[in-house]
Amino acid sequence: MTDPILRTEGLIKHFDGVVATNDVRISVPRGELRCIIGPNGAGKSTLFSLLCGIHRPNAGRVMLKDEDVTHFPAYQRVRRGIGLTFQTNRAFHRLSVRQNLSAVLQIPRADRPADADDRYRFALDRFGLDADSEMPAKELPHHRLQWLEISMVLAAGPDIILLDEPTAGMSIEETLQTAAVLKHLNSSGLTIIVVEHDVAFVRDVAQRITVMHQGRVFAEGTVDQITEHADVRRIYLGQV
Amino acid sequence: MSHLLKLLTGPEDIGRSRWFWAVFVAVCTLLFVYPYWLSEFEATNNAYYLLNVPIALGLALLWGYCGILSFGQVAYFGIAGYVYGIVAGNMTGNAFGPLVGSLCGLAVCAIAAAMFGYFVFYGRVQNWIVPILTLVLSLLLETFLGQTAGYQWRIGTVQLGGYNGMTGIPSFQIGRFVITGYSFYYYVLIIVVVAYLAMRILVNSQYGKVMLAIREDPIRTELLGYDIRARRLVVFVLAAISAGVSGLLYVQWGNYITPSQVGLLQASLPVIWVAVGGRESLLAVLLSTCALNWLNYTLSSEGYQYALIIIGVLLVVVMLFFPDGIIVTLARDVPSRGWRALVGLHKGKSG
Repeated sequence: MTDPILRTEGLIKHFDGVVATNDVRISVPRGELRCIIGPNGAGKSTLFSLLCGIHRPNAGRVMLKDEDVTHFPAYQRVRRGIGLTFQTNRAFHRLSVRQNLSAVLQIPRADRPADADDRYRFALDRFGLDADSEMPAKELPHHRLQWLEISMVLAAGPDIILLDEPTAGMSIEETLQTAAVLKHLNSSGLTIIVVEHDVAFVRDVAQRITVMHQGRVFAEGTVDQITEHADVRRIYLGQV
Repeated sequence: MSHLLKLLTGPEDIGRSRWFWAVFVAVCTLLFVYPYWLSEFEATNNAYYLLNVPIALGLALLWGYCGILSFGQVAYFGIAGYVYGIVAGNMTGNAFGPLVGSLCGLAVCAIAAAMFGYFVFYGRVQNWIVPILTLVLSLLLETFLGQTAGYQWRIGTVQLGGYNGMTGIPSFQIGRFVITGYSFYYYVLIIVVVAYLAMRILVNSQYGKVMLAIREDPIRTELLGYDIRARRLVVFVLAAISAGVSGLLYVQWGNYITPSQVGLLQASLPVIWVAVGGRESLLAVLLSTCALNWLNYTLSSEGYQYALIIIGVLLVVVMLFFPDGIIVTLARDVPSRGWRALVGLHKGKSG
């Protein structure tokens, strides 16, 4: 395994006594496209919020590029190259597409990927978004709002992006298009972690899959390993 | 220079067509010329309608553009006024006393706002609590100033004066030239125009775009790489300094200040001026502040005891029927082409 760009050690988070993540250990190598799956309440979104700094863990560590960022506020992690889209779309709905895209901090950091701008322009182009549009974001159809938020995150020039159910509510064609863009971005070196329920999408894009269940990492492996995994089939893929 | 001009005419306020700027220049010219037909007394009254514009613009910046409602902007109004009174009052006879007093007033405002804002924003206090905290600060200040009637509350030669307030505050002066009457009108007018243009540049700058983003969704904004605590603090301090400017102008206009200037009634007025015009537009706030101050002053000086009731009713009507403010709603919704050309609002084109 190459050096991990993002790694966690024993992440524990509870909310008012309810354990959301319990001793989560994951390690994502640079350049991988990882999918995280698991039933509702498995702790996937909580894990994302711990990774990007919306919440602080009760125990454990988050290592971003070999640096302990566990106690860094979210904006400092973003400046070190992490990006996140939320499970419910959080583009700025009342603002125009132009305002949304121009509100992104384009940090002049030394390790900003050389092709960050190319990725951003590629995404705009493939998603069909006009960066000068004065149209209020709320008037965009749902899938383009999702694409807008992904584009905003790309504008900051991240090394790794976390996408929480990016294709929820999309049609099959829109999902395929999203998958194609993500695979292209990944092939250019961007590390991507996706939480997703859509099994077809996961099979299409994932290089490795992490399965979460009841706040823990339940299984991890390649797409084939996971789909053959008897216990995973029972708890999650049983319906397929 | 062309960069500044571009920011000035940028899209984050209503009024961005050539026509608008032609009207703007015409109105400014008229405002500069027409005191020629006025008595000095009327000119001084007109200055009063204008001098509350900076505090209102500061609140528009903070509330309308950055999403933080302060109910206690008058605290900074009062701090600047009192500090000016103390410093300039102790330097009477010195030609630079008023200038030093003004700078001290604004500096104390900025420091007080920075300290208060630090605890609020770095403590990540939830947004809905901020109006209460700011109002409490203002009421504390009123209570404190109200009990300064005794002779022991004397700073140098200046008496704080308890509920009777501080009197005999020097007018502003540049060198030996005392700014009063007609010259005071021009002094206020220039400050108001400069404050408006400067804030327009600010809201159209990159900083302004981030303010809008923070207003819409602070956590999303932080996850785009911004330290929203520091950003909010800076806007809060700017708004406090703006309030301080109005406080200075007020004491230089009337030569007195009382604790009621930082009381509950006064605290609510800037919120009303901003809400009635439309908090998301500096221009709307500029116009509504002048209009409502004129209305209030005219009604009270005609002897009506109901001036504030009328203003209050206006607020209720606006909240019910024009939640975005009267002027902003008109600018947006009047279905006339000529009007659209004037206000220069973009209509959404396909994304």
